[in-house]
Amino acid sequence: MSTTRNARRIVAGLATLAMIATAAACGSDDKAATTEPVPVTTAAPDTPTDTAAPTDTAAPTDTAAPEDCGDRGDAGEINIFLIPSPSSTAIQSFIPSFEEATCIAVNFSETPYGEAHQKQLLAYEQGDGQYDVAQFDNTFLAPFGAAQAMTPLDDFLADSAEYDIADFSEGQQDYGKYEDQTLGLTLSTEPMIQWYRTDIYDELGLEPATTWDEYLANAKAVKAAGKGDGALIGFGPGSSWWFMTLVWSFGGQLYDEDLNPTVNSPEAIAAMQYMTELFDTAPDGAISATGDDVMFKFLSLDIGSIIQYSGYYSFTTDPAFNKFVGKMETAKMPLGEVDITHLAGWNIGIPSDSENKELAWQFLEFVLGKSNAKAYLESGAAAIGRTSITTDAELLAEQPYLELLTIPETSRIERYPQLKVWPEMDQAITQAITGILDGQSSVEDGLNSLNEELKPILAAENG
Amino acid sequence: MTSSAPAVKDQFALSAAARRTARRRRRRAALLTLPSWVMLAALFAVPIVVGVYLSTRSDKIGSFVPGRGVGLDNFRRDVFDQGFVTALVTTLIITVIGLAIQLPVGVGLAVVLNRNLRGTRLFRTVLLLPMLLTPVAVGLMWRFMLDADLGVINWLLDSVGLSRIGWLGEKWAARVSIALVDSWQSTPFVMLMTLAALSTLPEGPHEAARVDGATTWRVFRFVTLPMLRPVLYVTLMIRLVDSLKLFDIIFILTRGAPGRATETVGLLTYNTGFNFLQTGRAAALGVAVAVLTLPVYVLWLRAQRAQQ
Repeated sequence: MSTTRNARRIVAGLATLAMIATAAACGSDDKAATTEPVPVTTAAPDTPTDTAAPTDTAAPTDTAAPEDCGDRGDAGEINIFLIPSPSSTAIQSFIPSFEEATCIAVNFSETPYGEAHQKQLLAYEQGDGQYDVAQFDNTFLAPFGAAQAMTPLDDFLADSAEYDIADFSEGQQDYGKYEDQTLGLTLSTEPMIQWYRTDIYDELGLEPATTWDEYLANAKAVKAAGKGDGALIGFGPGSSWWFMTLVWSFGGQLYDEDLNPTVNSPEAIAAMQYMTELFDTAPDGAISATGDDVMFKFLSLDIGSIIQYSGYYSFTTDPAFNKFVGKMETAKMPLGEVDITHLAGWNIGIPSDSENKELAWQFLEFVLGKSNAKAYLESGAAAIGRTSITTDAELLAEQPYLELLTIPETSRIERYPQLKVWPEMDQAITQAITGILDGQSSVEDGLNSLNEELKPILAAENG
Repeated sequence: MTSSAPAVKDQFALSAAARRTARRRRRRAALLTLPSWVMLAALFAVPIVVGVYLSTRSDKIGSFVPGRGVGLDNFRRDVFDQGFVTALVTTLIITVIGLAIQLPVGVGLAVVLNRNLRGTRLFRTVLLLPMLLTPVAVGLMWRFMLDADLGVINWLLDSVGLSRIGWLGEKWAARVSIALVDSWQSTPFVMLMTLAALSTLPEGPHEAARVDGATTWRVFRFVTLPMLRPVLYVTLMIRLVDSLKLFDIIFILTRGAPGRATETVGLLTYNTGFNFLQTGRAAALGVAVAVLTLPVYVLWLRAQRAQQ
């Protein structure tokens, strides 16, 4: 009897395990939208969208009811390409109210990040106007721009009081620009910032670091006191993102204006040296930590501080993800020789082959315009760094990190290298960093050979 | 001569009719199998031909400029290259480690289950479960379990006083981890094949060996194993081919890291095609892998013939 019972337990346990694994495989990092978007009165179809009066309220519930424009689809139809993310979930939550307000039917499809940009490029190559609006990562701005795959939005922006580009700081207005043309609107503003554990820092009398030296000293102090691991940044796949941040901050560049690699410059060597010292204070599994791992280890382990993109903020307030809710705060990324802000985040634009550019713009204006900015944020999206959002007292009280999305003019904004060959560079840099961190080569030797390896890759940029 | 002439004529007429019938039959057979040939051509022949054609061109996804013929440049640049050789060696290492685990364990489990001991049916069902899971789910599950800081395996090592291992962060540990995870999922297949073969073996030779005083091990070694050889050979070939094209588990577990220590030829081809967007170069890698795998298919066919 007991054997049978045990056997049943084993089967039940394995079945549960299988279900969990399957659920994990099917899940995504989406955060469910929590707030329904409130429809704003938009311009009637076929009339200029900039006539819609922007409202000052974030949730304009008192706006007039939308004009009766007919049935869904009477005013046209658009197809939207989305990539699973909190931003995509938020966009989807706006579709019903947009359709109701404009009678423009909106169809959307989601494609996982791994295939999304390749699928877009193939669609644009065919040129049959498959998508009218497309979400894309800023890293793909260059290939899209070089291929002239996206419509320049500057004319739309110039005429749109509802979108109000002036609500962004000057540097941030350029986030979707490629060769002086705006090819994508900002769909999320995610600078790299400092995250730290207030309980550990308070206990040790530490303050969030303002310089990289202080940051390393804090990390060493946490480790030495046995309070946990000192600090974590991306040391594994994707480590190039943190390496380039340090190189910029230490005053260097990955390549010069003539596309010659400069990853063995004194500044880059100092940055890499710093990375190895920080690595000594990191958790055991740091060398295989991806960008996501950096955040999730911070939410689960005793780690004094991390440097990570701000887009992960919503996880820190959610007890389902964070073991230390209420014990984490954010601060500006430490300063090096140069005050830089490494800015990342999604873009969204209108493909060049779209046959419904006006309708597509109406949709973008509706979802990402100033009137709905607050509702957009509250629907679970990663924040967009509009000044009206980052200075909103009510929002700041709930999400203090928003303040960090206002990037001062003194800080130089840096984005992913806008190069077609970036994926190959990324792999080469990551490989070199791994070799240096696990002691296969010294910092100088590793960066010298990386510099040689990058020469033919960068030479192919214009090939 | 005169009397036999009509007979010959009749015979000739008969054979002509028979030939016509045979021709009609052949034509009908060809017509009936035509859809299959069309399907095969569309699904296999055309992609292979297109793949070979692409491998000689400079096409890139999203370049919006038609590619041009580059002859064998893609092969010179990407196939006869240190990166490809390293990836090939990594593939072979992971394959060999995987097979070294899967074959003995699979055969061992099959032999035990073939004895119909108490609980055999239950264990057979439980042991088959990993085979039913999708590789992506398996990869994700093991990725969490193998995490150096949060994983249950290092927690277990910790709790018995052993030092932690950077399962996915150290070169050899990562390779072994991939082979282990693949083995966890694939060993049931080996077990199932062996079990099916064991159930068809005649009992006579075993009885005779036992009467002659052979021990259980010697009976297995000198009677059972030789009789299983054809099935094991086919199983080995199937697993070899599967291991050579292993992709999903590696993609989820390490994505080729640390550095490029677990970058197999499959992952290299994927990165070249879908990450670097170099369609022509990726096609060249694909053609090279197909050519390199060809001998394995020949061995597989031979094994199948031997089994028949």
